[in-house]
Formats: sequence, structure tokens, C-alpha cells
Amino acid sequence: MIQLKNIHKSFGKNKIIKGIDLTVSKGEVVVILGPSGSGKTTLLRCINFLEHADEGEVTIDNFTVNCKHCSKKDIQTLRMKTAMVFQQFNLFKNKTALENVIESLIVVKKMSKDTAVQKGMELLTRVGLADKVSSYPSELSGGQQQRVGIARALAINPEVMLFDEPTSALDPELKGEVLAAIKKVAQEGITMIIVTHEVRFAYDTASRVVFMDNGVIVEQGLPADIIFHPKEERTKQFMGNITPDNSFSANSGKTN
Amino acid sequence: MTIDYSFIVTAFWEELKVLPLTLLITIVPLFFGIIFGTVIALIRLYKVKYLHYLASFYVSFIRGTPMLLHIMIIYFLIPAVFDNLAEKYGWPVHSRNIPLLAFIFVSFTITASAYLSETIRSGILSVNPGQREASYSVGMTTMQALRRIVLPQAAGNSIPMFCSAFISLLQGSSLAFFISVVEITAKAKIIANNNFSYVEAFIAAAIIYWGISASVEKISSMMEKRVQRYNRGGIA
Repeated sequence: MIQLKNIHKSFGKNKIIKGIDLTVSKGEVVVILGPSGSGKTTLLRCINFLEHADEGEVTIDNFTVNCKHCSKKDIQTLRMKTAMVFQQFNLFKNKTALENVIESLIVVKKMSKDTAVQKGMELLTRVGLADKVSSYPSELSGGQQQRVGIARALAINPEVMLFDEPTSALDPELKGEVLAAIKKVAQEGITMIIVTHEVRFAYDTASRVVFMDNGVIVEQGLPADIIFHPKEERTKQFMGNITPDNSFSANSGKTN
Repeated sequence: MTIDYSFIVTAFWEELKVLPLTLLITIVPLFFGIIFGTVIALIRLYKVKYLHYLASFYVSFIRGTPMLLHIMIIYFLIPAVFDNLAEKYGWPVHSRNIPLLAFIFVSFTITASAYLSETIRSGILSVNPGQREASYSVGMTTMQALRRIVLPQAAGNSIPMFCSAFISLLQGSSLAFFISVVEITAKAKIIANNNFSYVEAFIAAAIIYWGISASVEKISSMMEKRVQRYNRGGIA
């Protein structure tokens, strides 16, 4: 279980996150939607301390870290329970696809090379890249790089996977293969928090949608409720603006 | 005035005899300069308490003063300090016994560390911050991220700059002749004086310096291709 309590974060005078509470149960897939600048990505980065929140508490799997007083070791312990998939992929440029996946197993988890390689091959096969093990990131397409990113995150066997706009840097065709890979992993029951602008994907994959604006959670609930029947004015405005663009209406998909 | 071409060849072979020494006083400071330069760069980048002020001052002072002065200061300072200590603690040695080369190694390393720390600092900054974040996100410590991900990429990016540093140090090594270490320039001067053939002796020296520099440039560009083989595709 992941619990965020009263998270605050400012950059200089800019208050980005204004006291957010969020609880995610095991196996849940939570998608955070919201306009640019609403603090979605910052909130996500506060969970694994890539941004250090000014105030608040992060609990993962009964391990609680207070953002105000925490040691490097606390942060380390917390990070090992999370894994992140980045918007710009951020694969280790000097490592092959396989090395990217097994790096944490060897360096952090001190696994033997043979076991790590075996696990790495399995993971790359799972994301459909068994034939790309020895390619460097620069030799892979954006979609392939992001799938390696997903395999790298899975390797940690995290309590929660954090996705920071995983498809925003990809063209529509490549988006599809990455979203499919995420969906497949989601169906295996891994807890996920996903920041995205893909409403259709949120609708198909999420167990809960959280709508954020201006540093706070405006409302949250089942995907169909938040996307098609939002209660708050701000959510209505946002969903009203984007749903037609996605040429996607309440009558398509699983609801009839 | 006429140039005695055959004497250029004679001088060339004579001067070549001190090439190993010249390379030694270039490569040893380069090697230690890279080590100390990395430490200084990291101290400054991570703003290590108090030490980073010292590191910044060191780099600023050394880069703001001529290399020749470093040699002179070390040459006169070390013996004085050494003899004082030797007298105080009754060591049976005297600064006369310190080989000249030691002064050169120390002063060149001091100079090289300052310049190289700036090279290395910009090399580290050239690595995308996302690489570090990704390392942290999979649970690596700062040291692990540096050693496994950031520094190897920084080193790869810095090869052309290390090549420049080598060339600067090589040219700078000619200053060693101020404290009578006989490297290529000193040797050229001796040959010139003995034979009254100044132009020939110095042209021969120039050819040697250029020959080494050009070879190192070649080696550097080959290494760049090899080390950066991960950049083959050119994207990302």
C-alpha cells in the first residue's frame, strides 16, 4: 500500500503541490489526469524523492518517510520499493538493453551475473524485445526504448511502478506499442501510478482516475465517472475540452 | 643565412634521446591530474561543505597564475620546508638529494589538476541529468550512479578535451628546462649552443613536438569512436 500524507512542494515562490493526500491499494492502477502545470509530475517525483517534498509523509509497504527529517538511507530504502518510467526514457546510454535491465539487479540487489542475465532476458521477452538484448539505446526506436524502460522498472520488482507521461515523447504509432506493454503489465496485478494525457488509455486501464489541478486533487473515482460524469466544474471543463479531440465518446468502448 | 638540412637530421636524432623523459613529465602529471581533477570537480559539483570553497579558490588561483611560477615556487619552497623538517626531526637527508624530476612532477600535477578539474567538471555536466535520475530511481547510491553511469559517459564525452590537455602539458613541459631538467627544448638549446646552429636545432625540436601532438590527436579520435560505440545510432 502507498500512502501520501499532506505533501507540499514549492519551487522558489511557486507552490506546486498544496497538501495532497492519496492512498493507493495493492494492485490498483491509478491514473492521474490534469492540465500541464497542475503538479502531476511533481507529485509523482515526490514519491521516490527525485523531488524532495517540503512537507508531508510518504509510506510504502509500511515504511514511512517524513519529508522534513529523513536520512539518505531512508530515501534509498524507499526508492528500492519504487521504480519509475520516464517521459524521456532515460535509459543508461552507455549500456545495452540487457545491461540496462540488469544494472540494478547486479549493483543494488547484488544478484549473481548469471541469475541477473536470466531474469533480464525474461523481462525483455515479456516486453517483446528478446531480439534487442545487445542493442544500445541509440539503436532502438523510441517505443522500443520505452519498453526497455518498463523492463528495467519491472526488474526491481517494485511495490509500485511510477509512470511519468510514458508516451508523451512518442508518435501515435509508437504510443500504441508502449501503452499495450503497460496495459499487459497492469493486468498482472502490479500497483501503478500513471501520469498521462491519454484519456482513452486511462479509461481502458485504470482502476481509479485522479484529476488534479493547481496543486490539489480536484476529484477522483472510477474512470467512467471522472471522464464522462465529473461532478466538479473544473473537471467538466477539462474533460469537455479533451474528449472530442480523442474522438472518443461514452458510447464506445466497454460501457453501453 | 643558409639552413644546414643535414644538421636538422643530426639534431633530431640527438633530441629524440630525451623524448622518453619528455613524455614522462607529460603523462605522469596528466594521470595524477585526472585523478585529482576528478576529485576537485566532484567536490565543486556536489558543493561539499567548506571544501568546495577551497577547491574553487585552488582552481581560480592556479589557472590565474603562470605555470612557470608554479615551477619556481615549488622549486624554492619544497627544499626550504623539507630542510626545516629534516633539521627539526633529525632526518639524515637534505633537499639536495631530491631529484629534480620530483619538483617537476609536483608542480606540473598541481597545474594539471586545476585545468583538468574544469575539463572534467564540464564533462560531468554534459551528461544528461536524466541519467542520474534513472540511476537513483533504480535504487543506486550517488557513488554507484557516478561510477557506473555518469563518469563513464563523462569520460567518453571528454576524450577530445583530454587530448587538448595532453598537448598543452606537452608544450608546457618545455618549461622544465628553467630548473635544468633536460627535456626536448633544453636539449635543443644545448645542441644549438654547442654547434652555433640555432635554427636547425629548434626546427628539429618543433618537428618532434608536432609529431607527438599529431599522433595523440589521431589516437584520441580513434579512442573516441571506440569508447562511444554506444552512440552509433546517433539519437537519444
